[in-house]
Amino acid sequence: MARSKLQLRIAQSPVLRYGLAVLSVSVALGGALLIERLQLRNITLFLFAIAVAAWYGGTGAAVLALLLSCISFAHFFVEPSHSIPYFILFALFAWLVSWFSSVRRRVEAELLAERTQQGSLLNLTHDSIFVRDMDFLITFWNLGAQELYGWAAEDAVGKHSHQLLQTVFPAPLEDVHAELLRTGRWEGELKRTTAQGTTVVVAARYALRRDEQARPVAVLETSNDITQRKRRQEEIQRLNQELAKRSRELEAINKELEAFAYSISHDLRAPLRHMAGYTELLQKKASSALDEKCNHYILMMLDSAKRMGNLIDDLLAFSRIGRAETQKTLFSLTQLVREALSEVRQDAEGRNIAWKVGSLPDFYGDRSMLRLVLVNLISNAIKFTRTRTQAEIEIGCADGNGDDLVVFVRDNGVGFDMKYVNKLFGVFQRLHDSDAFEGTGIGLATVQRIIHRHGGKVWAEGVVDGGATFYFSAPNPRGHLWKP
Amino acid sequence: METMNKLGRILLVEDDPKDVELTLTALEEYNLANEVIVARDGEEALEYLYSRGKFQTRSSDNPAVMLLDLKLPKVDGLEVLKQIKSEEKLRMIPVVVLTSSKEEKDMVASYRLGVSAYVVKPVDFHEFVNAIKELGVFWAVINEPPPGSVRK
Repeated sequence: MARSKLQLRIAQSPVLRYGLAVLSVSVALGGALLIERLQLRNITLFLFAIAVAAWYGGTGAAVLALLLSCISFAHFFVEPSHSIPYFILFALFAWLVSWFSSVRRRVEAELLAERTQQGSLLNLTHDSIFVRDMDFLITFWNLGAQELYGWAAEDAVGKHSHQLLQTVFPAPLEDVHAELLRTGRWEGELKRTTAQGTTVVVAARYALRRDEQARPVAVLETSNDITQRKRRQEEIQRLNQELAKRSRELEAINKELEAFAYSISHDLRAPLRHMAGYTELLQKKASSALDEKCNHYILMMLDSAKRMGNLIDDLLAFSRIGRAETQKTLFSLTQLVREALSEVRQDAEGRNIAWKVGSLPDFYGDRSMLRLVLVNLISNAIKFTRTRTQAEIEIGCADGNGDDLVVFVRDNGVGFDMKYVNKLFGVFQRLHDSDAFEGTGIGLATVQRIIHRHGGKVWAEGVVDGGATFYFSAPNPRGHLWKP
Repeated sequence: METMNKLGRILLVEDDPKDVELTLTALEEYNLANEVIVARDGEEALEYLYSRGKFQTRSSDNPAVMLLDLKLPKVDGLEVLKQIKSEEKLRMIPVVVLTSSKEEKDMVASYRLGVSAYVVKPVDFHEFVNAIKELGVFWAVINEPPPGSVRK
């Protein structure tokens, strides 16, 4: 390639081209005169001079050399009239030489142009492309390869490809080679080292080139850098493994918690029952012998035992919600509110409550859990309106943002200070003393846990002595129905 | 009393002495405590049912009802259940699980093994006494026991 460039440069400068013609004919003339002196007549030297001029200088130079040769020949050696056939033969021969030479030059120039064009096209691609022969020697190296591996074409061409790039194959090299020879193709991920010493992972494709006799002659390799992708993949894999590990750990912890809850339900209740039992037996046997104060103590003991029993039950129910599988169905919220109301009717006995139940949508979720939510919220509303002569409790559906539906329970009860709104839904958190309003402080925590398990939110608004509204949201069942 | 004559024998399987005492107290109130046999763990219960060990010499009739706690030393309640329900001679004995646990999986496992009733001991003593009384009256008096158990 370097040689052809040199030839072209000479041919393109007219001064050099025609100078070459003059020079070669002069040299030939000198030679011919020298031979003449030795009594030998020879025109081969002139033909040679024309050939040189044609080869290196092109058609113009050839014509000039031909003319000059003819003049020199006629002038120095023969009378033109005496040997016209001889002269014509000479001229024809000279023309033939120049014609061949110009054809060859044209073909060469075309080939070169084509090759350059191909090379520059291959340089356009972002992929790295190189060609190596069957001895692994690199014969072509594009710009992409230079960018990826860091070596310029000059450095890479002629080198042993695997040594230069320190290629690590995913399979034994023999297998790769065997597949390449069998199918003419191979693809896989390779690890390589760049000129800068960094390791890159590439997705490589080999294509085998064969000659006319079907002998393998070269391998074209296209590759692109997947180092980042690979790194991300590995990262994802690592995170997945970590996640799986965490999930196993969580499962184990959950199992432990379950065992713990079981133990609480079993072992904590027994002594409590005994305390209550014996205290009651004591009360039965000795109450007539005890004074009022002592009887009061016994009552307090029984009351506390009962309260602790309720706490344990509520706590267990709360922990069960976290563990139980939700069984989701589509159901009528109106119907469920009706059921919840009949469940809490006992609490509302003898009270003057104005109920207002708005139109409610269908709900997609665990029916029994949702019922617990409604029972909790409604019995809270009943409880905290106790001081009102005319209690008002409203259950309705508020405007959500379209994707969610929002249900609320509003009362005109004692309300709460918004300052403590964050404490409302915590386990064992109470905003009122238990003398005024009894309770274990688990109800709203249970509500929150259930709604969270349904992918919804709970919140509340309240004013001290001005009533409270509790909201919960959940994904709109309409959206769920249309989802596959 | 007529009821006394018809009283069936109760096998109470309970490891906690206080629970035993409270249960017996509750049964006593209704004169149901006379025919109660107490086994303190699962193994003892099985010994009684199979007339082995210290119960070798007992009469061969089955109890009218067995009140069974689930959490027991040595052989637990569910295991006792499993064994007697696979025994032709014992499988007809009515078994009432009487436990502290409200755990659903215990309940499901018990019913699967064919218990006649599942009762969670109430914390409140009134309720506890009522529960025991009703159990005693129903199983030892009202219920007609399967053949093989004897009433006194």
